[in-house]
Amino acid sequence: MTAISRKDMNPMKQKDIRADRLFNVFVGIMVALVLLITLYPIYLVIICSFSDAALVTSGQVTLYPRGLTLVGYNAVFQNRELIHSFFNSVVYTVVGTVISLIVTMGAAFTLSRKFPGKKLFSFVFAFTMFFNGGLIPTFLTVRDVGLYDKPLVCILMGCVSVWNVMLARTYITSTIPEALYEAADLDGASQIQYFIRIVIPLSGTIIAVLSVYYGVAKWNDYWTGLIYIQTRSFLPLQTILKEILASLEASRELLMSMVSDTAAQDAELLNRAQIAKYCIIVVSTAPAVVLYLCMQKFFVKGVMIGSIKG
Amino acid sequence: MAVQQIHKKPVTVSSRFRKLGHSIVQNRWLYLLILPALVYLIIFNYLPMYGVQIAFKDYKAVRGIVGSPWTSMNGFKHFITFFQAYYFGRLIGNTLLLNVLGLLFSFPIPIFLAIVVNNIRGQRLKKFTQTAIYVPHFISTVVLAGILYILLSPTNGIINHLIVALGGKSIYFMNEAAWFRPVYIISGIWQNAGWDSILYIAALAGVDPELYEAATIDGANKWQKVRYIDLPHIIPTATMMLILNSGSLLSSSTQKALLLQTGGNLATSDIIGTYVYTMGLGSGQFSYTAAIGLFVNVVNFILVLSTNKISAKMNGETLF
Repeated sequence: MTAISRKDMNPMKQKDIRADRLFNVFVGIMVALVLLITLYPIYLVIICSFSDAALVTSGQVTLYPRGLTLVGYNAVFQNRELIHSFFNSVVYTVVGTVISLIVTMGAAFTLSRKFPGKKLFSFVFAFTMFFNGGLIPTFLTVRDVGLYDKPLVCILMGCVSVWNVMLARTYITSTIPEALYEAADLDGASQIQYFIRIVIPLSGTIIAVLSVYYGVAKWNDYWTGLIYIQTRSFLPLQTILKEILASLEASRELLMSMVSDTAAQDAELLNRAQIAKYCIIVVSTAPAVVLYLCMQKFFVKGVMIGSIKG
Repeated sequence: MAVQQIHKKPVTVSSRFRKLGHSIVQNRWLYLLILPALVYLIIFNYLPMYGVQIAFKDYKAVRGIVGSPWTSMNGFKHFITFFQAYYFGRLIGNTLLLNVLGLLFSFPIPIFLAIVVNNIRGQRLKKFTQTAIYVPHFISTVVLAGILYILLSPTNGIINHLIVALGGKSIYFMNEAAWFRPVYIISGIWQNAGWDSILYIAALAGVDPELYEAATIDGANKWQKVRYIDLPHIIPTATMMLILNSGSLLSSSTQKALLLQTGGNLATSDIIGTYVYTMGLGSGQFSYTAAIGLFVNVVNFILVLSTNKISAKMNGETLF
């Protein structure tokens, strides 16, 4: 009996071990492939930004930087309009994110409590996720309330995301025990004191996640500038980038906007403009990615809670 | 409240109002805290909804949204013009095709990524992979478009250098109608598949480890564990996402399409969103394009409501 069953089991086991090994190899190859596809384009842009223009445009920079140079970055940092819009974006992002956090946490806290009219408020919030006026009526409204071509519109537009309010509300209801509220209430704390002294200090994770969501959305927003801003000196970085990067004629635009030395040849200038594009991409993307990488330890927890239905 | 209980007042209308009033006063801080968000929604969401009426009017700048005269055909002139326009079919077709193809190709990839990530054995490699695949999500649409223009350039883009080196002919990716959808969809996958896998990774993290142990004892190999444990745990989330996504088949990512739109690819890149942008804000046809926008929003709203109903029937999960 035992001999037979062992005979039965052994080949099975061997087959399973082989299948498991094959599985591990498969996962390994897939991970390598995924990482390659994800990271190589980013890596390529970075090494090209440091490389010699002619070598890059002829496709000879693929694995490591060649003809190390900072000409591209020089051109970027000499472009006044670009630097100006960069600082515009810094201001819009920092101020906008702080406002977003205050407004979002306040609304989320209120919606996590019981009070007369809660259902109505929840509906008013949720409805905006499913229906909106559309581009043109929104544009006309913003113009009518006097926000058109004001820097303020770049700060306020999108400063409340109902999705984020719901996320924060779920976080508050699921991580802060009701007993804390009762204790604070007994001690005579008002709701605002409870919010500031207890809810906010206990919401570090969600505040970190929200600041990345809001901050990155604001930093990456080109649309508001395109639609609502006319005065060039108010434009955020991304709207300027749209002109420089995202069109077929882009390199000539950049060429004209750059301060150039007259001795250089046209082709050389064009190549340099091409390199400057890589540099612009690096400079403009770094803040958002660095912010994410600094905060990424909060993400697993924050996102997990977001996936729980509130 | 305690006081009222002691006196045991009969519940009259006025006392109920007093109770409500008292409760409102008691919760005054809550109202104050929600007020800023409410004001924001009123200005940026509800006023525009009120402004949607210009879709039924002929907008005159001097007379404003409310003062402009109603159109003929009971206010539906702009809608009828749109339905009868020769480009109506092309716009709807382009929008639908872009979204349906996009959904079809990009939907399975996050699930695949989640399973791969979940089966990485080294904790550090797992963490690194997870962090890395989220990174493209933080690159702006403009920069993504910029990278595409650079890498796909017919003269000095690396992709075309490769094609030529392999003996092919250089392709003008960004200026050919046939290439708009592939470029749009593939770049979308590159940017978002990792980020979209978070939900599935979270679902897999919730699997009871005892299930895997039991499966091992039963002699299951790793392929079978994926097939019989991982996949069934992902399917509810996946159906939910699929249903939700199909609720927005007519709402297009205008912001990205606009950046990738060139003179050469208009035949496929001309979608409702970009049309509303160019004709509305570019040519000032406010009422007409507001009507197109309203049409799309109503269709989307109906789609979302019905997909929500379907999802409620299928797995008891609803959005609202």
